[in-house]
Amino acid sequence: MSSDIILVIVVGTALAFDYTNGFHDTANVVATSISTRAARPQVAVAFAALLNFAGAFISISVAATVASDVVDAGAITPTVVFAGLIGAIAWNLITWYFGLPSSSSHALIGGVVGSAFVAGGADAVLSDGVIGKVLIPAVVAPLLAFTIAGVAIGLAYRLVGRERPGTVTRGFRYGQIVSGGMLALAHGTNDAQKTMGIITLALIANGNLGAGSDPPFWVIFSAAAAIALGTYSGGWRIIRTTGSRIIKMDAAQGFSAQGAGAAVILSSTHFGFPLSTTHVINGGVMGAGAGKRLSAVRWGVAGNIFVAWLLTLPAAAAIGAATYGVTRAFGTGAVGPVVVTVIALALIALAFARRSRQGSPVPAS
Amino acid sequence: MLATVVHTDELLQTVAASVVAGVGITVVFSIAIWGAARFVDLSSNERPVAAGAAAVVGVLALVATLAAVVVGIVVMTSG
Repeated sequence: MSSDIILVIVVGTALAFDYTNGFHDTANVVATSISTRAARPQVAVAFAALLNFAGAFISISVAATVASDVVDAGAITPTVVFAGLIGAIAWNLITWYFGLPSSSSHALIGGVVGSAFVAGGADAVLSDGVIGKVLIPAVVAPLLAFTIAGVAIGLAYRLVGRERPGTVTRGFRYGQIVSGGMLALAHGTNDAQKTMGIITLALIANGNLGAGSDPPFWVIFSAAAAIALGTYSGGWRIIRTTGSRIIKMDAAQGFSAQGAGAAVILSSTHFGFPLSTTHVINGGVMGAGAGKRLSAVRWGVAGNIFVAWLLTLPAAAAIGAATYGVTRAFGTGAVGPVVVTVIALALIALAFARRSRQGSPVPAS
Repeated sequence: MLATVVHTDELLQTVAASVVAGVGITVVFSIAIWGAARFVDLSSNERPVAAGAAAVVGVLALVATLAAVVVGIVVMTSG
């Protein structure tokens, strides 16, 4: 009975995490289309939410990686998954509070790895999977998006650079409807699958599913709905702040950045690599900027992303590990997760209250 | 040790597919825009044959772009 209560808490927490992931990442997905005026903000956000929802249904490779290749499902319990989720949410909250650009995906994997390590020792962590499926793609993917966008925009300028700017801009704006849609689809498929993987892992750990099982339909549907709702809700905040915080780029750069991001995320998803979509999209945007003019890239932002990237996995792992320790201090029943959830909700409310008094942080992209 | 845990084959396929799709689609779509821009210019210069050829190139490139997007989605869903 108590393990079922923990499972319900894990599923609720995972879906809340998925919602915040969509909310958090709306800017990444729609900013380029809005910035180049390829789409009106309301249309771009609604389109992105719809395609995030659809994207969650087109593959389960990443969910399989998260459920099977990161930690040993046979050696963990729903409490371990819960502690990992709290680690990820806490790190996201800390980076949001201080305005650091962090990756929700790396935080999620780091949190689960940390709690599994404390609960089951080194054997509970599948280091081959973490290195081969998470860490190496995490390094390769943003650099790949940067290079592809840079090369693509260079070739595009060579092809259309002497043509009438009006026709060229109009053409690329139309193209951005497709490239922006592909990016939203890619975001939905990679990010929603991480939540599916986590819920599936909890179901396996609780004995509801056999080891190596695929996510059930209700898991896929609820993860898709949560990320789409988050994207839509986050979009209204973006609409209000459009203009001052968005990188200025022309329509051709927007098209190549979105195309590069979508290509890298979709290809990686096909092979089950759980990427940081934030880092890939930022890599594409910077590549498209560098392809036109090297000084156009905000190298300070790139530095912040790099630092946050280095910190996220170990920091989320440490918080996940500590959370597991606190949870287990209350025994193996549901009391620990309930107490930790209440404390986490109180801390979240406190952070939001302090932030609203101090003003908005730098957006953590 | 690293060589055994790196999924080299899958990683290289990801890189190759990303480069082909990311660079390829931008280039082919740029050709479509080039065709449209040349068509407008050549039509206003009263060169209908050249304008028609540019339009054909543009339309073919546009069809190729859309086909590449559809193929990409089909490959994803079939995995």
